[in-house]
Amino acid sequence: MTIPELYAALSPLAEQVLRIPQFDKTLTMMSTPSWDSLRHVQLLSAIEQKFGIEISGDDAFKLTSAEKLVQYLHRQTEGKPQA
Amino acid sequence: MNTIALLPHQQSPAVELDYTTFQTLLRARMKQAPDREFLVFPETDRRFTYREFYEISVSAVDWVGRQVEQGGTVCIIFRNTPEFLAIFFGAVALGITVVPVNPDLAVPEIRFIVENSGSHSVFFDPDMKGKLVPLEAELPEVRFSPLADVSELPKVDVPAIEAQLPHVEMTTPAAIIYTSGTTGFPKGVILSHMNFLVDGKGIAEWFQLNADTRSLCILPLFHNNGLVVSLASALHAGGAIIMIDPKASLRSFWALVERYNATFTSVMPSILAAILALGSDGRPGYLKGIISGGQYLPPSLGKRFESRFGVPIFEGFGSTEATSYSCFQAYPAERRAPGSVGRVMPISEMKVVDENDMEVPDGTEGEICIRGANVAIGYHNLPELQALRFRNGWYHCGDYGSRSREGDYYFSSRKDDLIVKGGEKIYPAEIENVLCMYPEVTECATIGIDDAILGQEICAFARLKEQTLVTESELLAFCAQSLARFKQPKRIVIINHLGDMPELPKGPTKKILYRVLRDYYERRLANSQDPEGLKWVLGSQGGG
Repeated sequence: MTIPELYAALSPLAEQVLRIPQFDKTLTMMSTPSWDSLRHVQLLSAIEQKFGIEISGDDAFKLTSAEKLVQYLHRQTEGKPQA
Repeated sequence: MNTIALLPHQQSPAVELDYTTFQTLLRARMKQAPDREFLVFPETDRRFTYREFYEISVSAVDWVGRQVEQGGTVCIIFRNTPEFLAIFFGAVALGITVVPVNPDLAVPEIRFIVENSGSHSVFFDPDMKGKLVPLEAELPEVRFSPLADVSELPKVDVPAIEAQLPHVEMTTPAAIIYTSGTTGFPKGVILSHMNFLVDGKGIAEWFQLNADTRSLCILPLFHNNGLVVSLASALHAGGAIIMIDPKASLRSFWALVERYNATFTSVMPSILAAILALGSDGRPGYLKGIISGGQYLPPSLGKRFESRFGVPIFEGFGSTEATSYSCFQAYPAERRAPGSVGRVMPISEMKVVDENDMEVPDGTEGEICIRGANVAIGYHNLPELQALRFRNGWYHCGDYGSRSREGDYYFSSRKDDLIVKGGEKIYPAEIENVLCMYPEVTECATIGIDDAILGQEICAFARLKEQTLVTESELLAFCAQSLARFKQPKRIVIINHLGDMPELPKGPTKKILYRVLRDYYERRLANSQDPEGLKWVLGSQGGG
């Protein structure tokens, strides 16, 4: 999937879990109070379900912004058909 | 140590400190083992030896010193990053008082802390820029300085800067930590270098920390727990600290423990509940213990965690006013007294008193009091509260408990209606002050309700003017404008809709009876809410 496709695929999911109006590349855990530890767990679980991947504990703590999430998914889904 | 005048509540017991400020302690550890690892930041793969970070802190001395005068006060708004620690160490070396601010606070709450603390400078993570723009406009006399990376700090001649450092007394305020206040406004607790270093020393010695200690810090540095239990204690021991963003650590807890060979960590019970509920496998590796405090740890939760993961949990008791902890369960684990919050550390003294401040016999419940060099200077600009809580040479902490004949302390309850949600302390007045500003609300009250993960959640009761059509959603949205997310009620019950409680329950003096309200909630409403508990949080992977 391309980067724009990943943003499009993640947006509804992240907006629902984090209860935010818009998911874009400026979004970070630091600047988003609703992106707390429990919602981070829920967001990663939802991403795993949607994309059919498993996010390891060694990766989970690094995915702290929209950009990092999308770049990570880009690497994970390279060559795979759209979810 | 006693050559400097200590406050009455700090004079006993006497404690010997080899290093009296953060700067002298960090410098001493750097001299002892310059190439030993000091700080690790897994999220960004950054590691610093004692020498590397000491030099960064000296650069921060230069940078901060160009912007703030000695004796000034500054706010810092960062997560657990090198930038937080660089500015902290740099500022306190100059005798500047640092006010760490929770980045998740709402703008009005941040403004209150900046103004109340008298800060003329705010250092912040550039990710906060969008949030702080309106504040910069509102506070033109305050200087806002972003710092994206410690590599941006000026390269300096370290000996030259060291030679210019002012003398800082151990009693100089190092930080003002803001914590929830009974009036609804946060209160600033002033902590000196001595407070931090004595408490860090006490914890290090209690748990036999040494240069091989690797402390995993998953609690925020803007609270004293992160600054003391993880940072000051490991620094005292000459060990290493693995710093992680608390928001990102939950699911990676065991991976972090294993990958970074953590030997100790400090948590809130809500974190233990969440880790257990995640159902993941965990290997304790070198982890010798988990320190738990800040809220009540249900014995069943502790037992389940220990039997599943094989790591002992050490409960303790303290408060921001006592820097962090004053007592702990005995170490090693086989010496612990089950159900207790432990015995007082040698750096401190504790007692239990009745309403006349008379010490009660062992086994009798009363208010827990603390004194020692870890007890705070006091409150910032709150003389009445200072006189109430710091009196007769003791800090009266407002928690009720008892002491056994063997010297183990047992916590029983709070004296007031404090809500503790995931370790965050929130007084009902904080929410009520906001909710009562809604034009149609005539009276309101807030209570803590049971929550499987967080320990407590927040439920507000609001009474509306007659014939008013205001919904719970509208009231929740109103609260969201002025309260940090963690302070926002999960539920607001509109009293007008209740058939059997026309108004808030009150006593003869018209004081709201929070206990009655809690009983009512348990009896009538606890099972009627949308069960957004573990299932909601954990999605399809809930277990354990």
